[in-house]
Amino acid sequence: MVASTTVVIGSAQGLHARPASLLTQSVAKSGAKVLLRAGDGAEANASSLLSVLTLGAKQGDSVEVLVDGEDEDILLDQLCELLARDHDA
Amino acid sequence: MSAALAELILPGSIALEVTADTKAAALEELVGLLDAGRPLADRALFTEAVLAREALSTTGLGEGIAIPHGKSDGIAAPAIAFARSSRGIDWGSPDGTPAHLLFLIGVPEAAAGDEHLVILAKLARTLMRDEFRQRLLDAATVEDVLTILGEIAS
Repeated sequence: MVASTTVVIGSAQGLHARPASLLTQSVAKSGAKVLLRAGDGAEANASSLLSVLTLGAKQGDSVEVLVDGEDEDILLDQLCELLARDHDA
Repeated sequence: MSAALAELILPGSIALEVTADTKAAALEELVGLLDAGRPLADRALFTEAVLAREALSTTGLGEGIAIPHGKSDGIAAPAIAFARSSRGIDWGSPDGTPAHLLFLIGVPEAAAGDEHLVILAKLARTLMRDEFRQRLLDAATVEDVLTILGEIAS
């Protein structure tokens, strides 16, 4: 099953290395396949820090999160909360 | 829009091989490289920012890459130092790979909020390519490294 939703990046300085690594750690722990898709269509593998950083997503940018795995709705909620939080606050 | 990435890397800030074999020593060496390229406004202050950031979570990205960084008044303008470690340095990367390609990014505290993010994204897009990483690892001279890094699109 695939669950997806769109979330707005909350960190003041965007999806930089620290918030991105929190995301990739959660994804790695879950074992699910997670894809991020930016507004310009660029996609990133959410289990790869390098890949997530290529998006250069800024605060206020919308990013679609697609989760493929077990308990995808729960994981999706967790990941969206991570992305929406301001880790620079 | 910010400057092309290669313009941020001065020849004096490139080392083909670090002498360090620990992360702490490598960070000191990278700060020294930035300072050699263009003297830092306050080396101690800048070093403190880099170490504080590293303490929050590792800047090892996996794929043999580490991108430590510091945002601080200890540096007057954005700059990048680049160094290689052929034996690799344990950087606590998520994929467990030792770091062979080291980029230290320095930006002033007053830099635009997204300056650092833009630099990171540009670097990451290019470093995703296996072939690009291999060429950086294989480059024989500082000039070759500069030429390869110069291909990173602005």
